[in-house]
Amino acid sequence: MADSVVYLYAVTDAAPAEERTDEPVLAGVDGVPVRRVVSGDLAAVVSSVDPTRFSEEALRRSLEDLQWLERTARAHDAVVAGVARSGPVAPVRLATVYLDDENVHALLDERAAEFTAALDRIRGRTEWGVKGFAVRSEGDTSPQVTEDSKPGTAYLMRRRAERDRAARGLQDAAEAAEAVHQEMSALAVASRRYQPQDPRLSGRHEEMVLNVAYLVNEAGAEALRRLVGQQGGQNLRLELTGPWAPYSFATLEEQA
Amino acid sequence: MADLPARLQLDPDAVGRDLGRLVLTIVELVRQLMERQAIRRVEAGDLPDETVERLGLGLMRLEEAMTELREHFGLRAEDLNIDLGPLGSLLPQANDHD
Repeated sequence: MADSVVYLYAVTDAAPAEERTDEPVLAGVDGVPVRRVVSGDLAAVVSSVDPTRFSEEALRRSLEDLQWLERTARAHDAVVAGVARSGPVAPVRLATVYLDDENVHALLDERAAEFTAALDRIRGRTEWGVKGFAVRSEGDTSPQVTEDSKPGTAYLMRRRAERDRAARGLQDAAEAAEAVHQEMSALAVASRRYQPQDPRLSGRHEEMVLNVAYLVNEAGAEALRRLVGQQGGQNLRLELTGPWAPYSFATLEEQA
Repeated sequence: MADLPARLQLDPDAVGRDLGRLVLTIVELVRQLMERQAIRRVEAGDLPDETVERLGLGLMRLEEAMTELREHFGLRAEDLNIDLGPLGSLLPQANDHD
């Protein structure tokens, strides 16, 4: 077996690599500095890793080790984010490993058109995430029915009002979120909707009604920030995260 | 008897509380279903006033009793729930929509 195998992080433009010698060297998985494998206009960002720990079998085991997964995912993302600072970057899925540089070279050559198209799509653009949460209107605003003679009826009516208010709040939030999404989509080059996250995952009590990634240019990002700043309405709270490397729009899938 | 590894350390208090929690969760589920059904019947308008009043009173007492029982077991409203995995939770979240 070879001394090392090649871990692939992302594909980027080849051109600027030689121009920036002052660029800090990024550390990848296991702290090994990354390097570039260049072919034509494309460069693959890679680092050498231990073949015994990144063999197919070892990976299958490691991917279930949450601590290993977190470390590796963080290193992977740090490299992708670092490369994204200086140019368009098409991230590759976590733990994509090639036998040697030759194979990476061959990959760049074979799928050059696809990679170039992906990089062109995201050049000068960034990904932003927008999440919308339904805000609960606490406290009863409807007049209390205080019929002392009929406490049971009053109780049921109160319950009905609570139910209606909750349902209305959620529906209003969903509609407001839809309107915001329409507006933001018009600003964005591309958008991708995700399933709203479970409240336990997002660590809050509010229900998520919108979860979208937008690919935008400079002006678009500015407009997005402004829109989120205005908020969507009294039933909807928006949250903006980013800029991210364009994981939602340029992640390269391995071919079967 | 040979020394067995102490795998089951049953704390009687904890067992009692867990059982109480399970039973209360089921009762709470039934109570919420009944309440929702009652509200629907009231909305449909086919119940005489005194029946509505009786239903409402019954449900109100039941809720009060549930609160007392919960406090007796030292449980919060959000403790009365079961995570059904992909199906979500058994009861709507404490301050959730219907």
